[in-house]
Amino acid sequence: MRVLIVDDEKLARDRLRELLNDIGGYTVVGEAMNGAEAVERTGELNPDVLLMDIRMPGMDGLEAAMHLMGMENPPAVIFTTAYDQHALDAFDVNAVDYLLKPIRKDRLAKALSKAHKLTMKQITEINQARPEPAERTHISVHLRGNIRLVPVPDILFFLADSKYVVVRTPTEEHLIEDSLVNLEKEFGDRFLRIHRNALVATGYIKGIEKSPAGTWQISLKNLDKKLDVSRRHTAQVRRWARNRPMSA
Amino acid sequence: MEIADKTRPWIDRLKVYGRNLEQRLGRKMPSVETPPNGQSEFLPNFCAGEVVFNVVVVAEMLAIVINLIIPRNFISATPLQDLLLLSIFIQWVALAGTAVLCYTRKHLNRLPNLRALGMAYLLLLLTTFTVSECTILLLWAVGRLRTPFPEWYTSFHILNLTISAIINGLLLRLFLAKHELQSRTLSEARARLQALQSRIRPHFVFNSMNIIASLTRSAPEKAEAAIEDMADLFRMMLSQDETLVPVKNEIDVANKYLALEALRLDNRLIVNWDVGKFPRKAVMPVLTLQPLLENAIRYGIEELPAGGTIDVRLWEDNDQIHIQVSNPLPKTKSKQAKSTPGQSLGNIRQRFQSHYGEQATLTSTEDNSRFTVTVVLPTRGGNP
Repeated sequence: MRVLIVDDEKLARDRLRELLNDIGGYTVVGEAMNGAEAVERTGELNPDVLLMDIRMPGMDGLEAAMHLMGMENPPAVIFTTAYDQHALDAFDVNAVDYLLKPIRKDRLAKALSKAHKLTMKQITEINQARPEPAERTHISVHLRGNIRLVPVPDILFFLADSKYVVVRTPTEEHLIEDSLVNLEKEFGDRFLRIHRNALVATGYIKGIEKSPAGTWQISLKNLDKKLDVSRRHTAQVRRWARNRPMSA
Repeated sequence: MEIADKTRPWIDRLKVYGRNLEQRLGRKMPSVETPPNGQSEFLPNFCAGEVVFNVVVVAEMLAIVINLIIPRNFISATPLQDLLLLSIFIQWVALAGTAVLCYTRKHLNRLPNLRALGMAYLLLLLTTFTVSECTILLLWAVGRLRTPFPEWYTSFHILNLTISAIINGLLLRLFLAKHELQSRTLSEARARLQALQSRIRPHFVFNSMNIIASLTRSAPEKAEAAIEDMADLFRMMLSQDETLVPVKNEIDVANKYLALEALRLDNRLIVNWDVGKFPRKAVMPVLTLQPLLENAIRYGIEELPAGGTIDVRLWEDNDQIHIQVSNPLPKTKSKQAKSTPGQSLGNIRQRFQSHYGEQATLTSTEDNSRFTVTVVLPTRGGNP
């Protein structure tokens, strides 16, 4: 069985490696230091199971698992944690495997022998159970069976297009299967609804101007494109413009 | 007999309610007494088996006392029959009152304390009146009374309400006092636990143990040193809050803590020390420096994939110890960091307050993606 070890602490990774060596029958195909790396490595190395710490800088283990579940053939995930009371209660409720640090060899062997794939539902419920339900740091985009992570701070806008949502960064454009309603709920403090089909990152708004046709348009930093503000959202956009911090 | 039949479903319902509550009590003691916001409720839980039992006992005692003082042949032929009828009536009043409070408690507890108490009291009197009225109507309905307004109608109500006012007042007072005592003990215990947990952060402890387990194989000497550091650190964490220690000792402890964190965070943690000259008598409360460093690591270094540098400056000036700890901050705050570093400083600030009163200050600033905490303490410990 091919194992990917994910932990931000080197000695914690070493320990897992040694324990796996002791147990035998498992190959460590690689290591990752945070959630984003874990998602990348999983795409490259195609492991059967991930041993993944929950608390990591940047992207944490739960979010990484969320992105992984979107893969065509996701690996099994066993979480490791030192102490994470709220998450652990939710893990028990949703029958998700986890190991408590310091990790014991017999527990590790048992967890690996019955390692199974997570479902999106399990992960979402665990996330909801946390004191502050997390918003994703990245959006995962599927490219020919592979996962690409787009950091949320890089995103200029989301544009709904019949079945898909277009994710636009200064340099790239991707399609994701999500709804603007969900995205707005999750990233509402970072994005502004300007149209039934558009959410714009407030940090990238350069100005609001009137088009020759008399409607309002938003111009963006880093991209030469104007987005229409619908009549229904004009009041909301103008309210935002009045309250925006001076530095922006 | 009809009265008894009427009361049975009530009692059954109460029993079921009590049983459910007992189950909940057995599983999670604090959750019953305390709502999620951590504030203790004013009115106790009247559906609890213990309270219901007490109510029944007191009501029965009242029935016996009344039975002893009323003239014979006043209600019925034999004293035993008197007692039976009195018991049924009083139990009915008592249990109905308990049930009313049980169901309205949630709403009453939203009111200010005094008004909640007043409302509860009025509800009990209203219950007494209603039950008395029902009794008369029932007797009339079964043909034992010729009219729903017998000549003793007014005196019956006045008597019942007076007795009810006295007994209910006493009982409410009793239950409230007991409830207050319970919730105070509970909140004290919780505060103690919280204080201990804020000192010994479980996340740090278990991660460190995992690291030590890893080191026992690869580098036994390092593991040995780590265990020694941890022992010293724990000794400090378990010591009395009031202990004042020389500045040098505090720096030693902080270094032991940093050695452990360095094992964990590897090359992600760099600490720059800048320690000025201190008179030998300069003291500070035990574990003043370590929590500041822990804060810097938790909200700074741990959240940065590449780590960063913590700057620690200590100097003495004008009979005051100045401590300044600054750490880098992650650009986009991740989920755990949402509770900003400023919030977790509350505990530390509280400790200084209890030690020094207004003589100590703790300020924090955030600029250029660095977070800086500055603490100023009187050099000689000061007097709280």
